[in-house]
This record gives sequence, C-alpha cells and structure tokens, in this order.
Amino acid sequence: MSSATTNEILPRHADLVEERLVRWYFYAALAYLAISMTGGILMALQLIHWNPLNGIEWLSAGRWRMIHTNAVAYGFIANAFLGVLHWSVPRLTLQRVLSQKLSYFIFIAWQAVVLCTAAGIIFGPTLQAQDWVASLTDQLHLPMGLGAQGVEWGETPFWIDPVALLGLALVAANFLTPIARSKGSMYVTLWYFMAAFIWTFLTYAMGNFLPEYSLTGTSAGAVGGLFIHDLVGLFVTPLGWGTMYYIVPIILEKPIWSQGLSLVGFWGLAFFYPLQGIHHFLYTPIPMFLQYGAIISTIAVEFVVATVIINFMGTLWGDGRKVVTNLPVRWFYTGMIFYFITCFQCALQVTLTFQKLIHFTDWVVGHAHLVMFGVFSMWIFGMMTYLFPILLNKPWYSRRLCEWHFWLSAAGVFIMFLDLGLAGVFQGYYWSSLQPWDVSVTGSQPFWITRMFAGLMIAGGFLCFLWNLLRTARGRSTDSPTAVSAPA
Amino acid sequence: MNDADQSSPKTPQKRTATSGRLKPAVLVVMSVLILVPSMVGFIMKFLEFIRTFQDSTDGAFAITPMLNYLLASLGFFSLLVWAAANGMFRDIEQPKHQMLANDARLNAERAASLR
Repeated sequence: MSSATTNEILPRHADLVEERLVRWYFYAALAYLAISMTGGILMALQLIHWNPLNGIEWLSAGRWRMIHTNAVAYGFIANAFLGVLHWSVPRLTLQRVLSQKLSYFIFIAWQAVVLCTAAGIIFGPTLQAQDWVASLTDQLHLPMGLGAQGVEWGETPFWIDPVALLGLALVAANFLTPIARSKGSMYVTLWYFMAAFIWTFLTYAMGNFLPEYSLTGTSAGAVGGLFIHDLVGLFVTPLGWGTMYYIVPIILEKPIWSQGLSLVGFWGLAFFYPLQGIHHFLYTPIPMFLQYGAIISTIAVEFVVATVIINFMGTLWGDGRKVVTNLPVRWFYTGMIFYFITCFQCALQVTLTFQKLIHFTDWVVGHAHLVMFGVFSMWIFGMMTYLFPILLNKPWYSRRLCEWHFWLSAAGVFIMFLDLGLAGVFQGYYWSSLQPWDVSVTGSQPFWITRMFAGLMIAGGFLCFLWNLLRTARGRSTDSPTAVSAPA
Repeated sequence: MNDADQSSPKTPQKRTATSGRLKPAVLVVMSVLILVPSMVGFIMKFLEFIRTFQDSTDGAFAITPMLNYLLASLGFFSLLVWAAANGMFRDIEQPKHQMLANDARLNAERAASLR
C-alpha cells in the first residue's frame, strides 16, 4: 500500500487506470461465461437424454464439458480478475502498471490462448484421428497429440502451454512492478495479489508440464490433484479475497475490521493451502502419510477461512442493512456465506469415512459449482455491478433487472448445490451397496432434471444482466458522479 | 440507478471500545489456533516424510509434491522474514486507513474531472 499523506499530491486516476482495458476484460469475461453456460446446459441436457447436438462429433458432450470448465476458469474468471487488477492495483499502489502497451498485448495474447484451447478441445480429437496428423506427430517426435491433454483443467494443448506460461509471467511483471515501486507497508490486498501472480505461474507450470513430460502413474495423479485444487486455492482464491479486501471497505466506507487478522489469514493460506490438494485422492496408492498431511493442512485452512469470515463480519457490524439495500455488498456477502459452506464441506470431505461415500459422485460437482459460481463468480458480479456504472459513466438501466440477476443466480446455484449434494449421497449408497451402474444412473435422473432447471435459472439471471448492461451502455451518460459511484 | 441505501453512518463509541478490546483478543486466539497446531502437525509430518523416504520406496514418488510444497513455502518464508525485517508489520493497521483515504481522494479527483 503506497502511503501518501493528505498534503501530498496524488497522481490522477486517468493516469493510473486504463478504463477502456478494464471494460474490454469485463466484456471478454462475459462472452466466455455465455459460452461456458451454453456448455453447461448442453451437458445437463445430455445427462437427461435431451442433447440436441447428439451425433455431431465436434460438439459431443465430452468436448463441451471441457469447454464449460476451461471457459469458466481461463475465459471468465481470469479475464474478469485481470480487469479488476487493472482497476485496483494502480489505485492501491498509486503507480501505473509496467506498460500500457504490454497490458494491451497481454489482453490479445490471453484471448488467443483461450481460443486456441477451445479449438484444441473441439477439433483436436478429430484431427488426431487423421492419418497425416498421426504421421506428423511421429515424425516430429511430439510428446502428445495436438488436441486436449488428459489433465483436468490442464486440457490446454501442449503447444499452448509455453505461450500461456509466458503470458502469466508477463502478467506478473506488469503488476508486480507497481507493487514493488509502492512505498510503505502494503495493504492486505496487495499481499494476496502478489502471491497470486507467483502461485498461478508455479501452479500452471506444475500441472501442465510435470504430468506430461516427467511423471507417470500415481505420482502424476498426485500432481494432477494438487493442480486442480491449487488452481482454485492459489489462483482464484487470493485474487478473490484480495478483491474483497479492496472493495468491501470502499463500499462500506470504513476500514477492514483488522488488518492484522487479515495478514494471519494470508500467511496461513500461504503455508497450509499448497499441501491440501491430495485430499482429493484419499484411498489411492499415494502414501498414507501424504494423505493424512493433506487432511491436516485442510483442517488448518478451515481456521484460516474463519479469520477471513470473522474479519468481514466484523467490518459489516453495524451496517448489516447494506446487505439488503446495496447490491454489490449483497453479492459479496452472499458469496462469503457460500464460501463458508464450501469450506465446511471440505472439512467433511476430508474425513476418510465421508470421502468413501461421496468420492466420484455428483457431490463433488455440486461442491465445485458452489465454489466457482456461488463464490467467485458472485464476487465478480458484485464487482461488475459496482464498476460498470463507473466505467460507463451511466447509472444502471434497471435496478429490477439487477435484482433478478442476483436472485436467479443465488437461488439457482443454491438449488443446484443442494440437489447435486443429495444426488451424490444417493449415488454413493447405490455404489456401496454394489447395485448395477445403470441403477445409479436411473436413480440420478430426478436430480439431473432438477439440476438442469437450476442451471436455466442461473442462465436466466445472466441474460437479465446482459440485457441490463446493453441498455445501460446505450443509455445517456451522466455527469453526476454521485449517481455513478453509488451504483446499486 | 439510484442507490436506495438510507442507512446513516453511525459509529457509537461504546461499540468502538468493545471492538477495540475484542480485536487483539481475536487476533491472538486465531493466531495461536492456526499456527501452533498447524506447525506441530507440519513438523511431525515432515519428520515422518524423511523417515519414510529413507526407509522405503514409498517416499520416492511422494517426493515431487513434497518438493513442490517445500520450494513454494521456502519462498514465502523468505518473503515473511523480508517483510518483517523491513517493518511491514510495524504499524500493522495503518495501511487500511491509508488505502481508504487514497481511494476517496482518487474518486474525488475523477469526479471533478468528469464535470
């Protein structure tokens, strides 16, 4: 956190923040979320035997599922947080990013990475079946095929991996420079952001290179588990918490309850999170002491999460009504409640007896949706609800549409989470009672139908947001800063 | 869109005093709750890892995730030491006030430039 006394002249906002780039990142994020939601709905339809694209190889359900997950992680969440970073880091450090030209280059390069990944997923398997591609692969001694790789969330084609890693290094250089140039003690948000740049680079390298080039079998499986979990915990989580620590005090117009407690949370995350990914691989041939280590570190992280929740509830204390009246605050605190639920689920999931029941079931799918949509996407929507009127210099076209967006999203994801959690328990009992696989599939149908409607609710809320944004962008600009800076 | 937020800013001194007493207590309790058991657990598991690595083949394929963890943690431990040595935690609550003040001034400057 750069310290500037009240008498010191601050740089101009326009010199610090490239608002156009923030808008572009947000628009790109929303476009990828639309693609991801389409993929999710198609997958939901597939499970209840209503897939409208049945028989089209390029658009088969297996490929759409990967589009769904990759578009969320690298398309929606990465772009949205890059937009947030371009707004918040210069304002926190009072320093410009390393280079605005580099920022625009990264924007274009990152879209290319995401689109190439999508192309690899959709066309890769078909291309690999062609004789000429197989012969080219042999001739060039390529380590693997041209399409998606067999690592969950690491499906980026192998030829994209070095480019993506270079992109992450450039992102780190672009934002770490202003952080390094800032003076005085750092605000907690900058600690989280700084860590995210380093962790994301290391996590991406670990998950996309080690299992492909140097590890096999259980060892590769262990690293794959670490990768999936660290992508959530070391890429998305620090960016999410960093954003929350930045924006919540600003909207509530009072400082965070305790910066000291927030730093305990940060260092706790730094030391205890990286080991817990193996908790997804309990009962595997991975040595038991590693599995127990993952369990212990997961329990340690529960305490870390408690510090964050206490801190934000302490900050809200006395202003609880703002959760009702102020839409961004409502998005943030609803996401926080969901975050607490997901972390509580984690504590259950790492007990060996419970893991035995829910492993490989839809419980995990419900958990993942609550984390990625119920928590981080909600925080991003809160941030967009706050920032779009400022970026466009226009108030929201309709508060009612904002409300519909919130309620459909919150209700949809909560129903989906409950439904899939219950489905997971049923599936676990079907399997543990050694009934035929088909019985569990038939028994899951009511849950999958409910899930599809929950997904449609979320998609409906998103359409409300898109329509509202379109009408807002077309609306008349305001020169009233009050109406703009207090958007919802 | 008009903000419907009608809540008036109220910070009663009584609440502030209670919060002032509560905050250090929560900080100490949470620090002890997190750091002590986690450190004990970590050290025990690390010793167990060294024993396993020396005595059996199990450790051979467990070493990759452990090394990943240790390398990343070493970096962050160095950062923690560097931050403490450079006084980052000396006036620990100051940055949160500075951040709000700076943001308010930037907002005011931006609003003025729009007029």
